[in-house]
Amino acid sequence: MPAAPATFLDPALLARIADLALLARTVVDGFMHGQHRSVRTGASLDFAEHRSYQPGDDLRRIDWRLYGRTDRFYIKQYDADTNASVLFALDQSGSMDFGSGPVTKFAYARILAASLAWLSQAQGDRVGLATFTDELVEVIPPSVRHLQRMLHTLARLSATGTSQLVPAIDRVGLLTQRAGIVVLITDCYEKPEALGRAIDGLRMRGHDLIVFHLVDPAERSLPDSPATTYEDAESGVLLPLRPDELRARYQALITEHHTALAQRITASGADYVQLDTSEPLDRALHAYLDARRLRSRVR
Amino acid sequence: MGLGFLVPAFLAGLAALAIPLLLHLRHRDRDRPYRFPSLMFLEQLPIRTAKRQRITDWPLLLLRALAVSLLALAFARPVFTNQAAVATDARSRAVVILLDRSQSMGATGVWTAARDSARAIVHALRPRDRVGVVLFDDAAEVAQRLTEDHAAALAALDAAKPLARGTSFVPAVRAARQLLLDAPFAAAEIVLVSDLQRAGLTGMAGLDLPAGVVVRAVAVSPSTRRNLAIRTVEAKRVTVDGRSMMAVKARIMAYADSANSPETATAGVSVSLTLNGREAGSRREAITSAGETVVTLPPVAAPEGPVAGMVTIAPAASAANGLTADDQFTFVVPREEPLRVLLLLPADGGGSEPYFLEKALGIGLSPAIRITRASRTFVTAAQLRTHDLLLLWDVAPSKALEAPLAAFVDSGGGVVQLVGRRLSTRGSAATVVPVTMEGTADRLADRGGAVRIIRSEHPLFAPFRSLENPWAGTQLFRYPRLSAPSNTDILARFDDGQPAILEQVSGAGRALLVAIPLDAIAGTFPLSPTYLPFVRQLVSYASGRDALPLWRSTAERWALPDTLRDPVVRTPDGTLLRPTADAQGAVIPLVDAGLYSAFAGSTSGAAAALMAVNVPPSESELVPIDTTELLLGVRQTAWSDSLPSTPPTNAELERRQNPWRLLLFLVAALLAGETFLSTRGWRAVARRTRPVSTDPPAASRSTA
Repeated sequence: MPAAPATFLDPALLARIADLALLARTVVDGFMHGQHRSVRTGASLDFAEHRSYQPGDDLRRIDWRLYGRTDRFYIKQYDADTNASVLFALDQSGSMDFGSGPVTKFAYARILAASLAWLSQAQGDRVGLATFTDELVEVIPPSVRHLQRMLHTLARLSATGTSQLVPAIDRVGLLTQRAGIVVLITDCYEKPEALGRAIDGLRMRGHDLIVFHLVDPAERSLPDSPATTYEDAESGVLLPLRPDELRARYQALITEHHTALAQRITASGADYVQLDTSEPLDRALHAYLDARRLRSRVR
Repeated sequence: MGLGFLVPAFLAGLAALAIPLLLHLRHRDRDRPYRFPSLMFLEQLPIRTAKRQRITDWPLLLLRALAVSLLALAFARPVFTNQAAVATDARSRAVVILLDRSQSMGATGVWTAARDSARAIVHALRPRDRVGVVLFDDAAEVAQRLTEDHAAALAALDAAKPLARGTSFVPAVRAARQLLLDAPFAAAEIVLVSDLQRAGLTGMAGLDLPAGVVVRAVAVSPSTRRNLAIRTVEAKRVTVDGRSMMAVKARIMAYADSANSPETATAGVSVSLTLNGREAGSRREAITSAGETVVTLPPVAAPEGPVAGMVTIAPAASAANGLTADDQFTFVVPREEPLRVLLLLPADGGGSEPYFLEKALGIGLSPAIRITRASRTFVTAAQLRTHDLLLLWDVAPSKALEAPLAAFVDSGGGVVQLVGRRLSTRGSAATVVPVTMEGTADRLADRGGAVRIIRSEHPLFAPFRSLENPWAGTQLFRYPRLSAPSNTDILARFDDGQPAILEQVSGAGRALLVAIPLDAIAGTFPLSPTYLPFVRQLVSYASGRDALPLWRSTAERWALPDTLRDPVVRTPDGTLLRPTADAQGAVIPLVDAGLYSAFAGSTSGAAAALMAVNVPPSESELVPIDTTELLLGVRQTAWSDSLPSTPPTNAELERRQNPWRLLLFLVAALLAGETFLSTRGWRAVARRTRPVSTDPPAASRSTA
């Protein structure tokens, strides 16, 4: 039964993050006045840079102090605040439908996407949604009026099918012409280098990318069990094994993978956030957004 | 009910039971697979799989095992053997009566005893016993196949009668063996009802009989009996005072009885001669009670053309004559035709050397010899075919003539090569008998050499058997020295050891090489009284003229002359036969004794050819063997070894093999059930199992 849209918005969670803002780390392209840095210059209190006076410029913007020093006329340019497109790219492949606890990764991802979408809209951003498995499944273009639609869509989604992360990211990048914020929510079962190249593609288009890597505790450490047969959640392939004999080596592999992911994604200029689905989302999200705000560059 | 298998080798298919067993042992427990987001990293690890060697799905395993077992059993073709039926069949008997109907069975009281014995055997059988009847003489005739109808067997016995034929047990036993194929499970018995003549044993040694077949003999003539019989007849045309006469000589054999009575003179036996159906003379002769007596009949005028003769003996009433059927002897003396000799002379014509030879051969009418002179270079193959003998006077045949000459000899023609001074000078002359010339022996110094006969029994020397030394007084001054291969038949040698007369038989003809000088230059042989009979006998023998049989024995075959178009043959009992010619020409089996007449087209007119047939002389010897001798050398083997493979009837086969159909049906039902069971419920979840690999880490899912 699809979850009620409202359930994705936990009041407690929202209360925790309401004072935060999902600020674009880089300049974004927006039409409306917002909180994000814009590529356009306009009237604002934020000085951006000096420019040589051209005939016709507003004389009130002439920086007289600089004239006194240089005997040349320069005007001040200020950053124009505008809104951003926040596109949530959600992995809905079968691997997301796993949870060793009360909540699966996909459920966690839906709450995360809904919460951030709410926050984005509250700050005047345009929100959109693109879900994918090995191809795009649901696409909601970013708009200030698409939050409810996005929530309804999240409610009826289910995690199934196989995923092809890299081509899906490439297709997400084609969905919008304007640079904005792309929030990728996935469990990152992909080679770090391949994923990094896909992210590079998005970054080259000017997008500000945030990668939320959802990890279930059981994925870090194989569950305690005697010899059993493991089934791949996406392909259905069976693999009989003894988890107890493999746990140490598996943990080393998964840790290595996570480390590589973090390094590669970060090197692409994107934010990499690993979220353990056993931890409360609000705490993790609050910590992230706060840190992000501090890192934002104001010019 | 017993169970057997027609193809037990298929029971090895039961080893396939290991397949479902192994599959089930290797099966992994798939009840509760643990669903994991991705095996991406687990696959990179060397995994030692759990060895869960235990069977978890017993019902399915048993179902599959049962299907495999029944399939193997079905292919093995089980046969239910009804022990009761087999036992019943075993208690019944299959008896084959072999009734001897040869000529000797016509002896006084013998046939009656034989038939009564055979009938008694039939009467002694139980209702379910099967009986067959085989009548035999030289050959075997199945008068009645195995049957429970004993009346039919008795009727077959009653219809039999002795025939003028010889005796052979082998065809009868083989026929009985074949009949017993119809009753492979019955108690088989072969009963031989015969006077058990020793001549019938020929070929019995080495005969195969199935194991378990009982062979017994009923001797209907338990003791040796006296008998008078004409053993053989010699007849030939002779010229007496210029008239063609027929001289007939009969050899009469008196067989003693088992009492071995002392030899006493028997009352006279009348011996009469019939030529072409007309009485030609007779005489009375005293015959010894045991042994051979030669009776020479006075010569009678010989009719023109072929003469069919018959010699008949009529013993006195007091004479003990166990068998009267052998008191007649038929013979045929063929038409007297000139013997055609082609005399091949050397290039120089031979001069006067062949003079005495030609003169000697020209003398006499029995046979008359016609000589045609020819030069070596002008003799053709066609000329050869129109003659009976090629006589080479100190000359070798030309190269072109060698092949036709070989064919001529093979077809019955004869060749005599006289080797003299011309051929002896060559190292290796082309001779009709392969020899190597080693020059000439000169015996002038020791007053000439002589000839010593080596093979005195040879027909060539038949005229001289009564002479101690036919070449006495003959001086041979020069003759060729030659050496012959060790396998050469040397009939005579010179007194110095050199070969004098050599023979080589080829096909139906013969070749002789004569080193004895037949001219008056190299020796004095032509002046010897032996010369004329020798050269005439030489020519007669080499041409085969003297080997023409006056009769044949029953069971032989008569090859009709090739010149006889659309032959019709009248047998002794008046039956007309129209033989068809095959590669060997038209051949008539000589079944009965008597006179066979061959006509061209129709039986009107005179017969074109005659053939006299007599029962073998051994048939007259009324000496039974001991029954223990009957099976000496006979091998008893398993049914499958000795009997020709004969498939059982289709009905019998099908009746006994029905279980395989039921088994196949059961297999089909089990397989259907297995299919249903394995595709339902928890067994129905199809999974792919990735094989465990110890190879380096595999690639990730994405190909990007």
